[in-house]
Formats: sequence, structure tokens, C-alpha cells
Amino acid sequence: MATIRIPGALRSLTAGADEVTVTATTVRGALAELERLHPGVAAKVLNGDAVKPFVKIFVGADDIGGLSNLDTPIQDRDEIAIVPAIAGG
Amino acid sequence: MHRVREGRGVKATIVGAGGLGGPLAFALGAAGLELVIVDPDVVETSNLHRQIQFGPADLGGAKAPLLAAAVTKRGGTARGYQTRWTTDDADDISGDSDLVVDGSDDPDTKFAVADWAVANGVPYVVAAALRFGGNVMVGAPGAGCYRCLFEEPVPAATCATAGVLGPIVGAIGGVAAALAIGLARGDRSNAGSIYVFDDLRASPDPRVVRFHRRASCPACARTKEVS
Repeated sequence: MATIRIPGALRSLTAGADEVTVTATTVRGALAELERLHPGVAAKVLNGDAVKPFVKIFVGADDIGGLSNLDTPIQDRDEIAIVPAIAGG
Repeated sequence: MHRVREGRGVKATIVGAGGLGGPLAFALGAAGLELVIVDPDVVETSNLHRQIQFGPADLGGAKAPLLAAAVTKRGGTARGYQTRWTTDDADDISGDSDLVVDGSDDPDTKFAVADWAVANGVPYVVAAALRFGGNVMVGAPGAGCYRCLFEEPVPAATCATAGVLGPIVGAIGGVAAALAIGLARGDRSNAGSIYVFDDLRASPDPRVVRFHRRASCPACARTKEVS
């Protein structure tokens, strides 16, 4: 199973969980599985069929924007990181 | 007590003299870096809970000169300019800097700093703090850049709109300063990485994401390193 790392800003939607394991084989499937487990997360990350511009999703070290976006395949033990842009200082 | 001054002889620009700029300036100034501090704002009452380099007597004063004076008072070397750092006068302000550290509260400024640094082959750090966590990104020539990562400025949440717990900026600013000192020493091992602190109340441990250069990144395309 792969693991989705949940950023702090979204943990109110995952009952405080900082990671969620999924069995999906693509990032799209993983996010759909996450949405089924924790409704509301997808709306924070996705804009229709695209990742919101101020959110980056990585599979391991790779930004999915440089791979196959939401169709990027994931393997067992992959880590999917959701990283939102912030600007506070 | 032995004072470690690993940044002696290194010039750095700190963009932002607020919550992150304060700990950055004190740490880098004490490490011996010669600083230029840039910020357009004046001290307001709402700043004081997290910008602990300022006190009530500083209200209404320009942040950058006040912070530079505080660094100098502690034995460091710093100049402060009350202006917004933009690419229009970046060469004049930061042209002789060996590294640039952004701790501003503005998405456009963060991209401008990173783009300028990439274009000029200058290593840099971009730090941000919000609510209970923050991010610190390290960049250097040849590595993935800030625009590789987030592509373009968006109206992201800022401290002014979403708030920040006071101690968070000290923690994030300290990490950013340590990574900047690494760059000052010539250590590029963290370039192309972003340190993500989700909630420092729960854990001080960051998640470190290494990212690659984005082939379509316009900032990287302007550098000689891109093939």
C-alpha cells in the first residue's frame, strides 16, 4: 500500500491523521480513495480534474506535474506528499 | 564562550524584517554575515506578538532600519532599507550579495527573489510560516527552483490573513538561518529541497521533500545550466 502524507492544514478533515494508507495504483485513485475515507479533502486539493495551482503533489521526490499528473502510477510503499504553498512571514 | 562565526566575509540580503526576518537577521548577523535587510513596512501593534525584535517604543518606525540597528547593536553588520524588494532595483540592493534569504509575507516577492537568484546564480532560501507550521525551501544553481516547485504566485494565505502562532516564526526562521549558513559555507546538499513543518505544536520534525527541476520552468530556462 502507498501512504498519503496529510499536511497540517487538511488534518481537520482526516480526524487528525497525518498519513492515510491507500491501495490505489494512480495518484488520481489515491485521492479518490482518500476522499471516500475522509470526505472534503479532494475539494481542498483539486479543482475539477486538475491539482490546484497552489498545491503540489509529489510521489517520492517527483512532482506529479513532471510525470503524468493525476495519472502518475504509484507502487507499494510509495509516499505521496501534498505540499501547499504558503506565504506568511 | 566561543562564538562561531561561520559566515564571516559573506554578504547576504534578507528580504522581510518581520516574524521571520527578525530571527534570520539576529542569527546570520551573529554568525558574521554582512547583511542588507529590506522591508517596506512600519511596526504595528499587531506585529509585536511574533516580531519580538520590536517593542512598543518601535511602533510606527520602519522595520528594516530598526532591525539593522538591533543587529548592529549586537555586534553584527547590517544596513536596512525601507522599501519593497523588487527586481527593478534588486541589482542595486542585492547585486553584491552572496546569498539571499526571503522571509517576506508576500507571494509575489518570494517568486521575485527566487527568480532573481536563479537568474544571477545566487544561492537562496525561501521561508514561510503560517498558523502552526511553515516551509523552508533551499535553492542553488543547477537545482530545482522555487518556480519549479510552485510555478507562479497565487493568492496564498499570509500571516496577515490567516494568522500565525508567535513561536512558529522563531522556529521556522531559525531553520532558515541554519540552512542559509550552510549555503554560506558552500554546502549545496540541501538545494532543491523543501522542509515542510506541518504543525510544530505536535512535532518539530520536518518532512523533507526533494524535487527535481521542471523542464518547462521559465526561470530555469533563463539560466546557462539548462540544456
